[in-house]
Amino acid sequence: MATTVLASRGSREQPSGRDNVPGRSALRTTAGLLFTPILLSAVCLALFAYLGSRDLDDIERRSINAEVIGRSLVEHLRLVALSTVIVVVIAVPLGILLTRPGPRRLAPVFLALANIGQAVPSVGLLVLLAVTAGIGFSQAVVALVVYSLLPVLRNTMIGLQRVDRTLIDAGRGMGLTRTAVLFRVELPLAIPVMLAGIRVALIINVGTATLAVFTNAGGLGTLIETGIVLNRITILLTGSILAAVLALAVDWLAGLAERLLRPRGL
Amino acid sequence: MASSSTRRRVTMILAAVLLSASCSLGTGPIAPGSLSAAGSLAGASFTVGSKEFTEQEILCHITSLALRSVGATVTEKCGLAGSNTARTALTSGGIDLYWEYTGTAWISFLQHTRPITDPAEQYKAVAQEDLAKNHLVWLDPAPFNSTYALAVKSDTARSLGVRTISDYARLVTTNPAAASTCVASEFVSRDDGLPGLEKAYGFEIPHANTATLNEEAIYHAVATANPCVVGEAIATDGRIEGLGLTLLEDDKHFFPVYNPAPVVPQSVSQAHPQLAKVIHVLAAALDTKTIRELNEKVDIEGQDESMAAQAWLEDKGFIGK
Repeated sequence: MATTVLASRGSREQPSGRDNVPGRSALRTTAGLLFTPILLSAVCLALFAYLGSRDLDDIERRSINAEVIGRSLVEHLRLVALSTVIVVVIAVPLGILLTRPGPRRLAPVFLALANIGQAVPSVGLLVLLAVTAGIGFSQAVVALVVYSLLPVLRNTMIGLQRVDRTLIDAGRGMGLTRTAVLFRVELPLAIPVMLAGIRVALIINVGTATLAVFTNAGGLGTLIETGIVLNRITILLTGSILAAVLALAVDWLAGLAERLLRPRGL
Repeated sequence: MASSSTRRRVTMILAAVLLSASCSLGTGPIAPGSLSAAGSLAGASFTVGSKEFTEQEILCHITSLALRSVGATVTEKCGLAGSNTARTALTSGGIDLYWEYTGTAWISFLQHTRPITDPAEQYKAVAQEDLAKNHLVWLDPAPFNSTYALAVKSDTARSLGVRTISDYARLVTTNPAAASTCVASEFVSRDDGLPGLEKAYGFEIPHANTATLNEEAIYHAVATANPCVVGEAIATDGRIEGLGLTLLEDDKHFFPVYNPAPVVPQSVSQAHPQLAKVIHVLAAALDTKTIRELNEKVDIEGQDESMAAQAWLEDKGFIGK
């Protein structure tokens, strides 16, 4: 019931008079959706065609092969996936908590901490961790979590803060408990903003995870670093292009998820 | 009457001027020593660069002080991050000189994949090709060999029973977990690194038993056995003695030679023929024992690189006190 009330308030996707034809807008949407994966596939094909056409020397072949590239990709994805899941698990409940009337006073403290986490250069974070907690996959994940906490935390808080007070009052007026208001009114309305924050965190993590090579956690940074120290552009290009493609692919998937998870009627 | 804010501003400007003046005093002329008998570079000016690790910084300061003692004006650009950066600085004219290793140039810049085992032959091949292809002149090399090696903590070597790389190869094949090895990404990809080593000694270490770290971090990692007990090392590093590590003997003589030599653009070498003469005397004095001691002074005893360089040059009488 509450959602229907909110639906009419929040709806803004009424088709305009002109393209009232449902088929055309659906086609345009599909085309728009497919543009990124097609572009990325084209870039990958171009990269592999380039690599195939070049006469790779021994050193290049040691990095540019299915095993190494595959392993780097998998390590990278593991780092990004795990760190983003942990960030969401920490930041979303924390963000919710910090918008409740009691803990709200602590909000500036946690925001400042998250800010510091992102302001400290990621390499610096990795080094600090290496000195105190050693090197390895977990330390890389910790650095990624600290680094990408801010967007998710802040967006969760902003999303919840921007919910129209009258809607919350309406919900309370209809007899919903505070918790019910949270889960049935506030969160659905805040989800678009929250998802935007998670999307940002994902992309930040794909980029920052290239530094994981410095802490023995592998990832696409392995190819980039090898290319730099050995002065082999092919290896460097492979690592960089794949990292960029991965970031864009992750962004596209997150956009898809955003579309699917966006509550209907908003 | 000057207001307090104006006075403050004047004070700050004065301080800045004094500070910059004192900085430039640090690269002014040096009292001459025995090197001035080799040649004079009065009126010449050079920009000396180096890579970022201790040995390179020491060489940078040694060169800068030596050239200043024979009358040259030197701008220092020591500590450029990476072989690539230093080399590009040289070819683009950002610096006039830096010390490069024969093995490194052969593999990385001249893009060969198999090194030459004889030191003199390797040097000649590199010098000839770099001159012909890139118009870079290789001055006289120093006799020390900054070669790759495998380092183990001395006690661990005893308890594991490894003294040579053949022993290590046997251990890797029978019990790879006990022979966990730290490597840098460069070492993993070069023909004169891990792949060649594996081929020469007939072993293959599983990826899971290697850890990829920054070269500089490996010494400490091996010393604390976290995450590895064996590590790639440079033979002249001061931390080998300082952290109680020993180098495994390369019984099959696999590793090539890395003699350092100053590299200058052809134009610089032709304009200042005395440069080669000064370097000739200097390079000959840089043997393995000397460079190891200098590295130790900096990495273990914590001395400043330029102080250590100056002390050594004064001790040898190359420059005046």
